[in-house]
Amino acid sequence: MRHGSDKQPRHFSAPGDAPRVIDQGSVWILVAAPSIWAAHFLLSYWVAAIWCAKTGPMASLFEPRWIIVALGLICTALIAWLGVIAVRRYGGVFVIFEEITDSSERGRDRFIGHVALLLCVLSVVAIGFTVIPGLVFATC
Amino acid sequence: MTDEIDLSRLPPPEPYDEARDTAQRKRLMEAWREPPGWKIVTAVNNSYIGKWYLLTSFGFFVFAGILALMIRAQLAVPGNDLFSQQLYNQLFTLHGTAMMFLFAVPIFEAVAIIILPEILGARDLPFPRLSAFGFWCFVIGGIFVCGSIFFGVAPDGGWFMYTPLSSDPAYSGLGTDIWLLGLSFIEVSSIAAAVELIVGVLKSRPPGMRLNLMPLYCWYVLVVAGMILFAFPPLIAGDLLLEMERAFGWAFFDPDRGGDPLLWQHLFWIFGHPEVYIIFLPSIALIATMLPTFAGRPMVGHSWIVLSAVGVAFLSFGLWVHHMFTTGLPEISLSFFSAASEAVAVPTGIQIFCFIATMLVSKMRPSVPMLFAGGALAIFVFGGLTGVMVALVPFDWQAHDSYFIVAHLHYTLIGGMLFPLFAGIHYWYPFVTQKNLSARAGKWSFWLMFGGFNVAFLPMHWTGIMGMPRRVWTYDLSDGWAVLNMVSTIGAFVFAAGFAVLALNVLWPRGKAPLVKRNLWNAGTMEWAAEVPDKPWGVRSIPYIHTRYPLWEQEGLVDQIDRGEWFLPDAEEGKRELIVTDILDARPLFVQRVGGPSFLTLGAAFCLGAVFILATFHLWAITLIFGAGFVGFTLWWLWTGTSLIPEKPEKYAGRGLTLPTYAQGNRSPGWWAVFITMTGDMTAFMGLVFSYFFYWTALPDFLPSAAHLPGFGWLLLGLALLIGTWAMTTAARETLGHGQRGLAMALLIGALPVGALGIGAWCWSAYSKGLDPTVQSFDAMVWMLILWMGLHLLLNWVMHLYVAARVKFGHCTPEYRADLMNLTLFSHFLALTAVTIFALLALFPLLMGVGP
Repeated sequence: MRHGSDKQPRHFSAPGDAPRVIDQGSVWILVAAPSIWAAHFLLSYWVAAIWCAKTGPMASLFEPRWIIVALGLICTALIAWLGVIAVRRYGGVFVIFEEITDSSERGRDRFIGHVALLLCVLSVVAIGFTVIPGLVFATC
Repeated sequence: MTDEIDLSRLPPPEPYDEARDTAQRKRLMEAWREPPGWKIVTAVNNSYIGKWYLLTSFGFFVFAGILALMIRAQLAVPGNDLFSQQLYNQLFTLHGTAMMFLFAVPIFEAVAIIILPEILGARDLPFPRLSAFGFWCFVIGGIFVCGSIFFGVAPDGGWFMYTPLSSDPAYSGLGTDIWLLGLSFIEVSSIAAAVELIVGVLKSRPPGMRLNLMPLYCWYVLVVAGMILFAFPPLIAGDLLLEMERAFGWAFFDPDRGGDPLLWQHLFWIFGHPEVYIIFLPSIALIATMLPTFAGRPMVGHSWIVLSAVGVAFLSFGLWVHHMFTTGLPEISLSFFSAASEAVAVPTGIQIFCFIATMLVSKMRPSVPMLFAGGALAIFVFGGLTGVMVALVPFDWQAHDSYFIVAHLHYTLIGGMLFPLFAGIHYWYPFVTQKNLSARAGKWSFWLMFGGFNVAFLPMHWTGIMGMPRRVWTYDLSDGWAVLNMVSTIGAFVFAAGFAVLALNVLWPRGKAPLVKRNLWNAGTMEWAAEVPDKPWGVRSIPYIHTRYPLWEQEGLVDQIDRGEWFLPDAEEGKRELIVTDILDARPLFVQRVGGPSFLTLGAAFCLGAVFILATFHLWAITLIFGAGFVGFTLWWLWTGTSLIPEKPEKYAGRGLTLPTYAQGNRSPGWWAVFITMTGDMTAFMGLVFSYFFYWTALPDFLPSAAHLPGFGWLLLGLALLIGTWAMTTAARETLGHGQRGLAMALLIGALPVGALGIGAWCWSAYSKGLDPTVQSFDAMVWMLILWMGLHLLLNWVMHLYVAARVKFGHCTPEYRADLMNLTLFSHFLALTAVTIFALLALFPLLMGVGP
């Protein structure tokens, strides 16, 4: 109830609080890791596309290669940091037979942490997929 | 931790009283009853709209299927001239278009509208009239696009309508306009459904259903509706560019005037590839929902499936260029998309393995739905593997545009979408009709379709490798494709026979057949708590949910619901009521009243349909009249049906819980609907931004010299004025909050001329430098961005006048001001759009060193 945009008609509010989506529930962590993958993917694509368009069809890819690798490392580090948050703050665990079905705020947090952790792994794998062609190709 | 009421410690229900139960049921029935006789067309209840949606989609499926059989008949023998080449082009274009836009996507919406509220234990979705509006838009648009073939003017440029074939009216007649406008119209209904479904999953869950307890189906719906929001708008932007070129000669795709036909391919496939997953995920969601029922245990790896749905959703946006491997892009670019196309197999595989694991650790009950699900997995995995093959650039260069691709895409779509859907039809048919399907006919239809499908499409892998291009009208005996084509044609007709058996089974009148028993499959999800025979209110009382499979894990739940022991067991005020809960923990927030049957939605859909249809024929005057009609109907609908001030500020919802009857800001579904719609709108705008940068990357002299840039000073002035309107709107919200109604109205109305001057300054900045959209792509892009802003400003003005009138007539007050809060949210997005356009037109050329 801190923001002007959330002011309800006086006296008649619901019993109990509603957790705020961003700071108290932090569903952002669910989309953060794949968003970093998306950003990395688009940046790599743009760097290569603009490089090839502006320097000619047979241009060397030596310079953009290091940009792509650096991007990959930065993004992987960011995702690793997200993974640490998912484990520490949310109590996310890496299990296969997941049974996080307790009906409590903590249960919901642990579920979000768990899924966020899985998404971190998937995103790192997908970033790895994107970096490989950057290492292999010598020219546009 | 936040302050939370403990729903598990509510006071016990009042003892059962039969007279009270009867009276409550009577009042609920009164509130939820549908209009009698022919007035049923005004119904908005999800069970009606969902059923109509489903049947209409299947109608278009049958239509597109008949076109497919005609295609196969034409290709059965070499040198055939059964249909003219011209008609043949229309057949395959309309087949693809109707299957994709009029069947595969709408059927997701149809199924979700039928079962989502029931799985959520909700009475209806939060915007039933919006669902009805979307449905009628879909019917009108679909009939318009399909009907064109009977007049010989159907679109004939292929379902992805590549430029420059489609951008030059001399090559492609009226058909392309019908395609563009008809589909833009249908996209409106898809986006409407996406908004409805996202808000439904986020805000209409039963009290207690936290994110970790939400059924898998709801996760899939949330993810897919989100994808629609990011995938469809770029196509709308592309449609807009293409139609502007066709109708007014603006230079977007014509290389002679600095355009680029490849831009269309980008915009189309940024939509088109995610669309494949938009089609696939909701169907696989049906399998994920029914599999636990037949396994008799919860899904193995529930969270892994959530991961894979979210992962696929993201990765699917990084695949679009794999449709463009042969367009001469740099190999390094191709390989990025090749890598992403292979990476997407990882999350897709995870969900398939979860299904297999669930089947392995349990004893599966054999049934017709599981037969279809098994067939689906077999076909889909096959199609997925050929998908990994064509994701490899060198292989794709060989197979591109050949029948190998036709085989691949039908394996993925029929295995990934159609068979799971048929499984779902067999599974939920008793839920919708309370009657049983014939299992014998079910098995017959399965084996006919499974066999027929493989006989039809497996040989296409070989015809493709042997060089048969897709879309070819006929071929010569010496090509050596004759036998395989004949086999494919026979298979297609066997497949059609199988579908005919299924259709007969579903449509067979079962008036006298006995009703099924309640929850006949012994499922764990909430939709099977519905009473037999069915009641229009969905759920007798809205329960507290604290498990993933409530019917298995919450003992006595069905009886408690039936006895009206949970929330909102009554409709004292005769209104249709839902409980709105919060996004994370589904804590009850307020009681929402939703609209009942109405002609207004029908009128709005009809007028909007007329606008799109008449615009096809360039009948601008009548188009404008119907446009005004659409605005009128919509405003009437909003005025009489939304943000109404309740007769009492709160009401007793049962079990000691008293809830407000009104909410505004981010507690109300309306605010979320605006937020979600505007996110989609921003995505369409991003399509235009992408186009701008695409031209800049692809064309060396896209940016003109400083003398031909729009004037910097005027652009800056325009931006200042547009930001001024935004500030005035925000200030109106604050002043109304402080009780100054007059000042709020003055600010709302005063913002109109300020905005007009702002957009006027922008127009002048372009006009005074002689920018002509029909001459150069840069000029066309500048005018397009200004036009985009202008159209939004027009909408903004209507909303300002509307809200000012609401304040004037006391529907929007200092206490109850949801309307103004939603308007402010809209104007935040508008301000962001203005800043971005300014950056593109004024700052970017400066940055590139061509500015003043």
